[in-house]
Amino acid sequence: MEPSSTEGGAEETLLKNHPPNLPHKVILKHGQELEEEQEELAEHQPLEQEDLNFERWKRRPLPERTLHQKIVDIKTYLWNAETKEFMGRSGKSWSLILLFYTALYVFLAAMFGGCMFCLMWSISPYHPTFNDRVMPPGMTMSPHLEGHEIAFNASDRKSWKKYTKSMDEYLRPYNDGAQEKKNIRCAQDRYFMQDDLEESTERKACQFKRSWLGDCSGLQDPHYGYSQGRPCVLLRMNRILGYLPGQGKPINVTCGVKKGPPEALGEIQFFPKSIFDLKYYPYYGKLRHVNYSAPVVAVRFAGVQYDTHIQVQCKLNGKGIINDSPTDRYLGSVTFSLDVGA
Amino acid sequence: MNLAICLLLQDDHEITIEELETRYNTSVTKGLTSTFASQVLERDGPNELKPPKGTPEYVKFARQLAGGLQCLMWVAAVICFIAFGIEVARGNVTAFDNLYLAITLISVVVVTGCFGYYQEFKSTNIIASFKNLVPQQAIVIRDGQKNQINAHQLVVGDLVEIKGGDRVPADIRIISGQACKVDNSSLTGESEPQSKTPECTHENPLETKNIAFFSTTCLEGVATGVIINTGDRTIIGRIASLASGVGNEKTPIAIEIEHFVDIIAGLAIFFGFTFFVVAMFIGYAFLEAMIFFMAIVVAYVPEGLLATVTVCLSLTAKRLARKNCVVKNLEAVETLGSTSVICSDKTGTLTQNRMTVAHLWFDNHVHAADTTEDQSGQSFDQSSETWRSLARVASLCNRATFRPDQEGVPIPKRLVVGDASETALLKFTELTVGNIMDYRNRFKKVVEVPFNSTNKFQLSIHELEDPLDLRYLLVMKGAPERILERCSTILIKGQELPLDEQWSEAFQTAYMDLGGLGERVLGFCHIYLNEKEFPRGYAFDPDEMNFTTSGLCFAGLISMIDPPRATVPDAVMKCRTAGIRVVMVTGDHPITARAIAANVGIISEGSETVEDIAQRKRIPVEQVNKRDARACVISGGQLKDMSSEELDDALRNHPEMVFARTSPQQKLIIVESCQRLGSIVAVTGDGVNDSPALKKADIGVAMGIAGSDAAKNAADMILLDDNFASIVTGVEQGRLIFDNLKKSIAYTLTKNIPELTPYLIYITVSVPLPLGCITILFIELATDIFPSVSLAYEKAESDIMHLKPRNPRQHRLVNEALAVYSYFQIGRCSFAGFTDYFTAMAQEGWYPLLCVGLRSQWENVHLQDVQDSYGQEWTFSQRLYQEYTCYTVFFVSIEICQISDVLIRKTRRLSVFQQGFFRSVKTHPKHASLGIMYLNSTQLVQWWFVPVPYGILIFVYDEIRKLGVRRYPGSWWDQELYY
Repeated sequence: MEPSSTEGGAEETLLKNHPPNLPHKVILKHGQELEEEQEELAEHQPLEQEDLNFERWKRRPLPERTLHQKIVDIKTYLWNAETKEFMGRSGKSWSLILLFYTALYVFLAAMFGGCMFCLMWSISPYHPTFNDRVMPPGMTMSPHLEGHEIAFNASDRKSWKKYTKSMDEYLRPYNDGAQEKKNIRCAQDRYFMQDDLEESTERKACQFKRSWLGDCSGLQDPHYGYSQGRPCVLLRMNRILGYLPGQGKPINVTCGVKKGPPEALGEIQFFPKSIFDLKYYPYYGKLRHVNYSAPVVAVRFAGVQYDTHIQVQCKLNGKGIINDSPTDRYLGSVTFSLDVGA
Repeated sequence: MNLAICLLLQDDHEITIEELETRYNTSVTKGLTSTFASQVLERDGPNELKPPKGTPEYVKFARQLAGGLQCLMWVAAVICFIAFGIEVARGNVTAFDNLYLAITLISVVVVTGCFGYYQEFKSTNIIASFKNLVPQQAIVIRDGQKNQINAHQLVVGDLVEIKGGDRVPADIRIISGQACKVDNSSLTGESEPQSKTPECTHENPLETKNIAFFSTTCLEGVATGVIINTGDRTIIGRIASLASGVGNEKTPIAIEIEHFVDIIAGLAIFFGFTFFVVAMFIGYAFLEAMIFFMAIVVAYVPEGLLATVTVCLSLTAKRLARKNCVVKNLEAVETLGSTSVICSDKTGTLTQNRMTVAHLWFDNHVHAADTTEDQSGQSFDQSSETWRSLARVASLCNRATFRPDQEGVPIPKRLVVGDASETALLKFTELTVGNIMDYRNRFKKVVEVPFNSTNKFQLSIHELEDPLDLRYLLVMKGAPERILERCSTILIKGQELPLDEQWSEAFQTAYMDLGGLGERVLGFCHIYLNEKEFPRGYAFDPDEMNFTTSGLCFAGLISMIDPPRATVPDAVMKCRTAGIRVVMVTGDHPITARAIAANVGIISEGSETVEDIAQRKRIPVEQVNKRDARACVISGGQLKDMSSEELDDALRNHPEMVFARTSPQQKLIIVESCQRLGSIVAVTGDGVNDSPALKKADIGVAMGIAGSDAAKNAADMILLDDNFASIVTGVEQGRLIFDNLKKSIAYTLTKNIPELTPYLIYITVSVPLPLGCITILFIELATDIFPSVSLAYEKAESDIMHLKPRNPRQHRLVNEALAVYSYFQIGRCSFAGFTDYFTAMAQEGWYPLLCVGLRSQWENVHLQDVQDSYGQEWTFSQRLYQEYTCYTVFFVSIEICQISDVLIRKTRRLSVFQQGFFRSVKTHPKHASLGIMYLNSTQLVQWWFVPVPYGILIFVYDEIRKLGVRRYPGSWWDQELYY
């Protein structure tokens, strides 16, 4: 659109007739340059020297905010003296929002509380809704201190004192006196069913006397054989509410060597016998079966070889009992190491 | 340094050949000596583009593994390993959980890292595209011998020969040449061949004809030249290094996500550390406290978030690809949505990139031709006798021909041999008259005078169709004035009338009108040569022009333009309503640019430029208040003289901007100015030298058809159909995905609280652990990915194209309202988890009050007879199994609440009932996740229903929120609860 191109007759007549305006210039331009464009097309974009000054195109980094500015910003955020705002909210705004949340959470807490109330209301205090997780029963033993190792020297009182102490503790509820006072004597050889009673009535429990454990009762020998190198252990099956072990046939207990020379274990004695009597089952729960005493089987290793490290496993055997679970070593069995010295 | 090179370059084309010889120690006949050449090679390095010294690949990869969240996860994994080591040493059976957890965490980090690295790798190999431009072989004269050598061994001072078809191997000064024409398109994007001759024609090295540039193509002829620049010092080398040097700016969404991740990571550490201290204070062992720290981090960090975002973006990218937008850099999808300025090319993007006949003037009327791409428009009245004559001239006086074998192709798409105007005329006549080749055969051509710059017309003489009529027909076309000068009559309605003052004025008016439309106008005339004077066999001499060339009969004007694409005006309108400015940046003439801009609506109707106002008010341009002018056309020449402040000012004051006659490099200045004004800028481009601007733009859009490889590589997005309207589709999708990402993130965040609270309760109240780390990871990485991705399919709630572009500083992806609402209001579905947890515990025998403080007994491996509320005795493994049951129950609760959550997240403002429940079908994968839970615990069905009331509560609550937001816009409720 160079105005230099104003020569030519046709343009001059036009100049007279019209004020100099833009479309007019178009004519001039087209008159002069159209043919050239025909040759070069309108697209030629001249490269300029300036185009090669690459430096000016490089992005200049934005100035970083200084630490001071940042601190000032945070300060204003925390307390803006101009607007009297704390963390971007005025006092009124804060109280509104806090009120809102209080109301919301009070409602939620009430809903949660209501749910808990409904839950407890719906659950029977006498028997759990489900007992699939606690079955089949596990097995525990005494003495049990942290681990399942029994290692002592018969002659060294100190080395076995802790075991006998633990067993004393374990057997205290089975003292004959206490049992006679609280529990009834049972003679039957079947489950002691008391389902026909009213639900909340306290259930009777059968006696299990400490004296029945003989050499392992700690009555004749307060050292449970530890001083003689013939230690006792006590075994008990975990209580499960309403569980009828063995389905009519009593569960019996066996012990054997799991690791170590098999002959090292020697003779094994069971007290009162190697079974859990049916009369002690079913268990009616803490609330109704207040004085329930779980039966104990005492095992006496009468001929254990000295100075040999052996692993002993005692198992429950019976219908419905699992004693070889790969994931739970205490399900229906208990394993302990035995290392007796002279 | 650049300046020095420029000076050197400037000098090189102006000095004499002798000086050049001494400067480079060479000879224009014998070339360099081989020994000297090898010395120079040693000094300058090979003639190839070196990739810039970027960060090594392993560092890039490592960076991907060391983001904010990733670092946290590494710490967590290390803690897990330590815990595993210690617990194994203690013989603890449950220790392997820690190992699995560590492995999962590490694999999450590594997998997301690999993905990110791949993304980055794909978008940064820009230099490779420049390598494609580099020639392989070159003919060089050394020691007087002609050799073909590898182009990268060329050095400054080498004497090289180029011929038609070769790539120019370096920047060379032409010493001698014959009809040498070079295609500079790889450099400038313009496809018109430039002739190269030994003369220095311009002081600017880029304009002078005696320098040929590296990587351009020699089309025809031969030339010999001395190399003056090699490798990275060539023009293309500098553009390449600039393009790869313009750092990849962080996209807005990347900034958003980074901002968000920082906050999350900060909060995770804060929570973790707080509870670490609390745990230590309560009396836990150091290792346990560390494990708590780790667990809190795992629970709080949304591990699946980055994957979700990536998947959402790639889904949109896929959708866009179906609409001819290929997105190279995933984050670009969203950037497009926040775009506030589009700097668009004209040719090919806004227009069809083909000259087309737009208007005709005959019988003293302007007739509009059909310019649509598919010939669906209205045609004009073709009954006039004048039209027949005009069509005949246009058909005959035309050297363009169709390429053979194109019968099946629609006429507008056929390939033609010939220049742009003749092509337009050929296609036009083919469409209106039909079968031009045949037509031309019927009028046998006797002689022809091609167009040249002195004549400025083209003519040919033909025999007539009728064998009995022995006259010759002379047809002529050319610049309208030149044609008019030669005419004495004019055809009106088939009648030859004398061309008097009146007709002449009518012609001027028509010419002016058409010229004002930015169209290229050609005049057409003809004459029947006198039979007596020019009998058959007359020897016409095209050089002497021994025949009549004046007193012709004027037939009419035909004007041509590269018409806008049919979809563009709509698209520009959409941009306007969407608050996006469209700025046209073109190399075309301002008049043409303005006409097209007005045509497509970039300059809206009634908008005036400063010049227009000056003209209307008849005052000088200086007196016009610039703010009154909406539109502004700035040419490259003006732009060069403007300071950046002036340019900013112009962009601020005139909403409708057209930049004409700009060099592609000036695009960069325009982009920078827009960015200074705080805009998010999208730029379209196709040439190699557009690549810096494409890179610099927040989103570079390359043309798929016309674009060079370098442009495509520098761009974030490629338009397969070169159509501007596709960008608008992209904007729409980008906005949609921003909204949907917001929903996705809100959904993802919500479950962090129910994941976190079990730990907090576990630590403070010492209940058995309600939710394990592995379970949390399972939620994060398996079950919740699908629903959060499904939200990406959500339809827009309102017409997003009627809103202004989001202001990146105000409309954040994750704002306070979103976080607070998700965490403290919807996140309370942790109550559902605890309700369900306590239910499961109580029904198995552990009353809630017993659970409190139970932890030490519960987790004691040596206790095999822990009593529950009923006096039952549990072994450790039985308790552990019960704990796993609790995990599952808590997990189920979270999932049930999340189902509710995904439903409410479908909308932010509308009711779900208005939006439609299952409009996004992908919500269903949620049910798949329920299936997984079912496998996990077949007999837990009873506990599935416990959290349902909470799920319903969430749903109802959110509907109330939305109702309030809709009913009372701007109220306290809206401000606090709308995210």
